[in-house]
Amino acid sequence: MRHVTACFRKRKHGEFKCLSRSFKQVLAGFYETGRREFTVLDSDMRFQVIVAAVFWSGFVESRKVRGISSSYKRFYKERKSFLCIDGSKIIPFEQVNDDYCDCEDGSDEPGTSACPRGRFYCTNLGFRPHYIPSSRVNDGICDCCDASDEYNSPAHCQNTCWNLGQKERAYVEGQMRTLDEGLRLKQQLIEEGVLLWREKQAQLRELQQVAEDLQIKLEEHRRRKHEAERLKEQTLKALEAGDSGKGRILMRSCCNPYSITVDEVKTKVVLVHDEERLLSEDEALGLLGGGHQIDLTKFRRTLWDVLTRGDSVKVRSISLHFQHPPRCFFAAEWEATNLKKVEEAYETVNMEISDLRKKLAIDYGTDWEFLFLNSQCYKLKVYEYIYTLCPFNQVTQKNTAGTEVSLGTWGMWAGTPKNQYSQMVYENGEPCWQGGSRTTTVTLTCGTETALRSVKEPSKCQYIMDFQTPVACQPVLKQRGIHSEL
Amino acid sequence: MASFTERMVPVLVLWLAVCLAETWAVDRGNFKTCDQSAFCKRQRALKPGESPYRALLETMELTNTRLTLQLINDNNKVRLLLELYRLQGNITRVKINELKPLKPRYEVPDVLIREPPTEPLSLLSQDENGVVLSLGSESQRVIISARPFRLDIMEGSDVLMSLNSRGLLTFEHLRMRKDTFSYKVTSTVASVWDNIKRVFSSQADPEAEKKEEADPANQAETTKEEEEKVEDGMWEETFKSHSDSKPNGPSAISLDFSLPGVEHVYGIPEHADTLRLKTTENGDPYRLYNLDVFQYELYNPMALYGAVPVMLAHNTQRTTGIFWLNAAETWVDISSNTAGKTVFGKMLDYVQGSSETPQTDVRWISESGIIDVFLMLGPTPKDVFSQYASLTGTQSFPPLASLGYHQCRWNYNDQEDVQSVDAGFDEHDIPYDFIWLDIEHTDGKRYFTWDPHKFATPKEMLQGLMDKKRKLVAIVDPHIKVDSNYKIHNEIRSKGFYIKNKDGGDYEGWCWPGSASYPDFFRADMRAWWASMFAYDQYEGSMENMYTWNDMNEPSVFNGPEVTMHKDTVHGAWEHRDVHNLYGFYVQMATAEGLIQRSGGIERPFVLTRAFFAGSQRYGAVWTGDNAAEWDHLKISIPMCLSLGLVGISFCGADVGGFFKSPSTELLVRWYQTGAYQPFFRAHAHLDTPRREPWLFGPENTALIREAVRQRYTLLPYWYQQFYHAHRTGEPIMRPLWVEYPQDPATFAVDDEFLIGRDLLVHPVTEEGARGVTAYLPGKDTVWFDIHTFQKHNGAQNLYIPVTMSSIPVFQRGGSIIPRKVRVRRSSTCMEHDPYTLYVALNLQRTAEGELYIDDGHTFNYEKKEFIHRRLSFAKNILSSVNLAPDAQFTTRSWIERVVILGASKPSKVTLQTADGQDSQLEFDFDASMSVLTLRKPGMNAGADWTVMLQ
Repeated sequence: MRHVTACFRKRKHGEFKCLSRSFKQVLAGFYETGRREFTVLDSDMRFQVIVAAVFWSGFVESRKVRGISSSYKRFYKERKSFLCIDGSKIIPFEQVNDDYCDCEDGSDEPGTSACPRGRFYCTNLGFRPHYIPSSRVNDGICDCCDASDEYNSPAHCQNTCWNLGQKERAYVEGQMRTLDEGLRLKQQLIEEGVLLWREKQAQLRELQQVAEDLQIKLEEHRRRKHEAERLKEQTLKALEAGDSGKGRILMRSCCNPYSITVDEVKTKVVLVHDEERLLSEDEALGLLGGGHQIDLTKFRRTLWDVLTRGDSVKVRSISLHFQHPPRCFFAAEWEATNLKKVEEAYETVNMEISDLRKKLAIDYGTDWEFLFLNSQCYKLKVYEYIYTLCPFNQVTQKNTAGTEVSLGTWGMWAGTPKNQYSQMVYENGEPCWQGGSRTTTVTLTCGTETALRSVKEPSKCQYIMDFQTPVACQPVLKQRGIHSEL
Repeated sequence: MASFTERMVPVLVLWLAVCLAETWAVDRGNFKTCDQSAFCKRQRALKPGESPYRALLETMELTNTRLTLQLINDNNKVRLLLELYRLQGNITRVKINELKPLKPRYEVPDVLIREPPTEPLSLLSQDENGVVLSLGSESQRVIISARPFRLDIMEGSDVLMSLNSRGLLTFEHLRMRKDTFSYKVTSTVASVWDNIKRVFSSQADPEAEKKEEADPANQAETTKEEEEKVEDGMWEETFKSHSDSKPNGPSAISLDFSLPGVEHVYGIPEHADTLRLKTTENGDPYRLYNLDVFQYELYNPMALYGAVPVMLAHNTQRTTGIFWLNAAETWVDISSNTAGKTVFGKMLDYVQGSSETPQTDVRWISESGIIDVFLMLGPTPKDVFSQYASLTGTQSFPPLASLGYHQCRWNYNDQEDVQSVDAGFDEHDIPYDFIWLDIEHTDGKRYFTWDPHKFATPKEMLQGLMDKKRKLVAIVDPHIKVDSNYKIHNEIRSKGFYIKNKDGGDYEGWCWPGSASYPDFFRADMRAWWASMFAYDQYEGSMENMYTWNDMNEPSVFNGPEVTMHKDTVHGAWEHRDVHNLYGFYVQMATAEGLIQRSGGIERPFVLTRAFFAGSQRYGAVWTGDNAAEWDHLKISIPMCLSLGLVGISFCGADVGGFFKSPSTELLVRWYQTGAYQPFFRAHAHLDTPRREPWLFGPENTALIREAVRQRYTLLPYWYQQFYHAHRTGEPIMRPLWVEYPQDPATFAVDDEFLIGRDLLVHPVTEEGARGVTAYLPGKDTVWFDIHTFQKHNGAQNLYIPVTMSSIPVFQRGGSIIPRKVRVRRSSTCMEHDPYTLYVALNLQRTAEGELYIDDGHTFNYEKKEFIHRRLSFAKNILSSVNLAPDAQFTTRSWIERVVILGASKPSKVTLQTADGQDSQLEFDFDASMSVLTLRKPGMNAGADWTVMLQ
């Protein structure tokens, strides 16, 4: 390390033709070819590397060429002339990095700002090498962490590569830990997801079974209602036919205070025509709506009212006086009510089935890893608003006054072709002032917890959310982590 | 920024219903027509005829500096005082006021940079019909005719300009309110009549009542009452639900000007109209009344945000100007005797030799104040610019960085947003200098504050920008939230600095913060206090790389008449009616002063304003307000900025991309290409529009926009030099072709292309789906070089130029030398020490001239002669740089890295000779197909004397 520091000092004095540069280039070259080895070096070994680099420097050509990576060195071998890399022009070698742009492609000025299309290679020993546009060379702003871009500028750039590298490494390590933990959690969630998926499937099957049962029941009830209606009609017809509007039913006395039976009807109710006569079995059945017994209250509310109100069927008032509690009779309406109940049940079950099917039709990832999010909601307070993300369902925004606004309902996955599960879109939220409706784009990132991390509205009515969850962790990231240098 | 209805949504729910009903066009009903403005209607009802005014020659007094003379109106015997001055630089000033006004009438202060220096007037002759005065050289004379009064300015036998030749001089003298008096009279008369009636009825004469009705005395009374009715609006006026009490009664003034031989008049911004002003006989006059117009319409004479009452008249012989110094609501009527004529009709006139001289007649009408008019007599366009500049000053010399690209949006939401947009520019390698914060950055629209959550650490944000050599603009509007917890409000209130309503209380109106009051910027002490608020220790979170934007300073009052302030509010001794058009001028003045003061007078300010008046050029930049993302709005940006340039305001731009609505990608790219060649280059967008940072439209369009912005940056040395020149001379930067080619009538109405300075001609593509444009290249013996291909074209022709999406047709004039910095960096400040490339475009005589101006780019030290100003010239195969300012001192690190000579022939050798007498051979490259000679790395310092010889 001592060597390097010495050279930096020299650089600060404006002399850059010191050993340090070639030194650094060597290191850079070494670093490029031996990057992987570097990562495994411990600090004691690093000194030896530097010694080796010093040793190598004697063999390095093109020490003058600033701003190139070692892989480009072959283009800059010190000869009499230089061929622009695009082959467009040959210039004297002195014109390389002489602060005048000769080559169309900028290749003659890798170390100066002369070429509009040029690029400068930051070696960034200790951190990550990268290219910057030539226009950032000597512009007074430190771009390369090794300060190599500001070799002739009033900017006082410090070499921050080492710190950055450490930070980066710490960061990457943190990321790795997160990733490891995330992947572990993800595995759990996948397992849970599979279970959940099975559970849901079972639930679906169950519901389907219920639906089937209900269907059978439904048919039975339909048949019965139909039958009852037929009987009722028959009876009424008979009554009408018998008395052309003057038939009367007489109910003599009553019986069971809570229900009424066919027999009771037969014996107690008298059809008053020209003369009184008892009801036939069919007529009595018809009055009871096809059943043999009916709850008295029901009878009174439905059939009895029909009978007593109807013009064609008169009931002798004395005889019809109900004792308290009132008595007896029945009708098709009873069956209708029953049918309706079953129908409703059937409908409910079917809706549940279709809901469940819809849910199950959503793409929950290759391993159903996102399934567990389905029934969850995540909240985040940003300034005066509370945002709620219910994955695969909806996004809402609530202000302090409690007014809730829809920012969209589940639309689709909209990630990259490489990983389509990296982004969700919720659309068709509350309409906006200037037309259109609110939409929310949710970006999923890897984390050990599942939580909403940020909400922004870059344009009016267009929201973006950062949603962290272990299931967004991708093993790919792990390989990138290895890239960390020194 | 938005005009009112659009942006008040968060402010006032009540307005919502109104807004919902609005379509994408101005709601004309919100703004007055001439008919709805009582004084305009009254005045316009007067038709040309014999003037009732007579000059009382016996009252004439002639001193060395001025002539005074009384005028009398023979109808009402009211006397006026005419003052006539001959001002230095061929300007005649005519002032007319009441001889003895009931109370003083408003005379506009602070707009003139000083009391204009006079030159002696001499009497040539005098008789009972009038007097003739000499205007010095060039046989220019003023003839004052006595009966009726008129004033003619002659040169030789030509009349340059006539005043009151159509008899439209009117002066509504101040008077006591008569209605109370007349009421008394009427009621007295009525009671008399009642008595008479009673007498008659006691006589039981059945004819009596009929007689009464026929009585001539009674008739006279009726007529009198009718007169009162006709004059409705003199003492009170209502518009929509707003009533304007007029305690001073009628006070309008009017005067007509005839311009013989003139068919083209320009100026009187701000209007969304063609460069050449139209005649107004079939519609409303052009209106000058600063208004916040929501979604303004194009090609009409409606008033907009600013007003400069200056008109230029031009023909092949002469350019003149009329500066009507009045800050009240003003209407300008234009008529022309050739306006209705067909080309055939004109030809017939010509053939028959019976043609009457073409003539344009102009009439100015103002609601109050006095007639104070400056007749700028040219004769060249540049003379008129310099004459006007001698009165109101020149364009302020802005910091160099403000000529770069500005990135604005309503709104960048928080510090993180600012940071990420900033990073976006670096990532996409697009330069920019300023990022802007609109009203949402404040704590509840309390200016001088920051939203405590979204902008919690503004200095951190500013430091981040400063590290990249970039800057920020934060908005400070003049409406102040009425809130007892707001320091600014409390101070203004306690100092009594607010504008008062007619009853003496602080005026309150609605604006962004809800209920707001308006500081009285007409008070010098108020302005001084306002300026002090920009001190770093007052304006918390501000830093030296933060500048200011004054919006809504018409002033905009959402619930006021025509979205502005009630005319009967009170500014000390004056009504708002008298001063309205000056409000924005003063706001910007005080703000610019604040920015100067905070740096101890060292740094140049940058302040953008929406409202403006004559003289606003001294305080910063203006933009054309809330335009829309439509092709026609892109087109109109050219005549709108050209018109402003003609009246001194050079630092002009339109919102790139259009403020309202969302531009198509093609429109956005074309707008960047156009904006890159206009003086103030800022993209802006409405809150409700989707994001449109340059990189959001795919890599291809990002590249197109990047290229347009880079072209801007390479030309910054030229732009800077143009601003320096404008600051020195008052000449417009973006200028109409006719200014440089005043004798070529083909240029007179061109407003789809323009010049930057003398040397660059720009014809932006402003048509959707364009495959080509036809540019007019002026100048018979001039050649023009395409700056991209170096192709040479002859002047005085219409040139069809095929275009693709990357085309920006720009030409460099043969005979010019333009310095560029071709190393485009992140911001203009990063390019400070970069070397120059000189583009030498040879004319037919194989000569060329140009200038190079260099200073520190941001301080007032140039006033202390700290700058470099070189003349570059090429003649006889020698290119040289000589010092234009030998007494100035400045050193630069910049050097000359390249010289590109267009239209050159191949030399055998090229020698550079520097001041120390050293000769050196230069390498060069010659492109025979385009005749372009490139000298490689001559390397001399940009501030040095040197000569390059081609042999």
